[in-house]
Amino acid sequence: MADDKDVLRDVWFGRIPTCFLLNQDEVTEREAEPYYLLLPRVSYLTLVTDKVKKHFHKVIRTDDAEEMWFEYEGTPLKWHYPIGVLFDLHASNTVLPWSITVHFKNFPERDLLHCPSHSVIEAHFMSSIKEADALKHKSQVVNDMQKKDHKQLWMGLQNDKFDQFWAMNRKLMEYPTEDGGFRFIPFRIYQTLSDRPFIQKQFRPVSPEGHVHTLGDLLKEVYPTPLQWLSEHLSHPDSFLHICVIPVPSD
Amino acid sequence: QSMSLSVSPAQTAAWRRQIFEQLSERTKREMDDFRHYEQAIEQSVWVKKGTM
Repeated sequence: MADDKDVLRDVWFGRIPTCFLLNQDEVTEREAEPYYLLLPRVSYLTLVTDKVKKHFHKVIRTDDAEEMWFEYEGTPLKWHYPIGVLFDLHASNTVLPWSITVHFKNFPERDLLHCPSHSVIEAHFMSSIKEADALKHKSQVVNDMQKKDHKQLWMGLQNDKFDQFWAMNRKLMEYPTEDGGFRFIPFRIYQTLSDRPFIQKQFRPVSPEGHVHTLGDLLKEVYPTPLQWLSEHLSHPDSFLHICVIPVPSD
Repeated sequence: QSMSLSVSPAQTAAWRRQIFEQLSERTKREMDDFRHYEQAIEQSVWVKKGTM
């Protein structure tokens, strides 16, 4: 029987094979070859695609290159959602590799946040961790950490260092035994067929009577997995449990 | 406050096994045919040198 710690590794080391194709409307000096990469599910698109940018910059006129952004079948991909969330939400029924179109012009201002540097991603990531810790521990853990500890979380994600990240993230996943779990579970539910970006609300891992809440209680479905365990083991590095609700394929 | 378990040990074993299996299936589905692809994040190798 596998150990719960193996789940943390499986979540961290999840990869999406991806084929990046240049948008056909871009003006190129010669034909742009596709670029293939294994993307970490737990990271962010703009954090792991410097090589993609460099690859396509070789063939487009540099004067024409504005901020790089990504699209899948007409949907601009939000870099501030984890890569695994984007894939599950928009492309989980697709044939692999995941085919992403790369753009260097006509940035969709209404759909995407600008991402001029990795420090913008770091700020977004740390703000998620802080929001999650406010829900889990009234911000006590994250406030007790030093600046270098925050940096360790970020550097662990940025450099794909599982041990470095978890040495610190362990503290964010602890709770007093008598509480039976976190104060509230940080989660977001994404739906493809909804105009709302996601659903987020306060939900406790244990009922006032002391019963453990399950994912089924949250989703109003029968699925007897304690939310506390899901939050500890399946959360993204940003400390949030990201849940995608996707339609069952009809074929 | 004492915790009362609303999920039986058999149910716990079942959901745990299901998640392990689903993760393992996902890894197989998404990675087995693509291990030759380049990793997006290079794993740098650090050699720590010290004087004794």
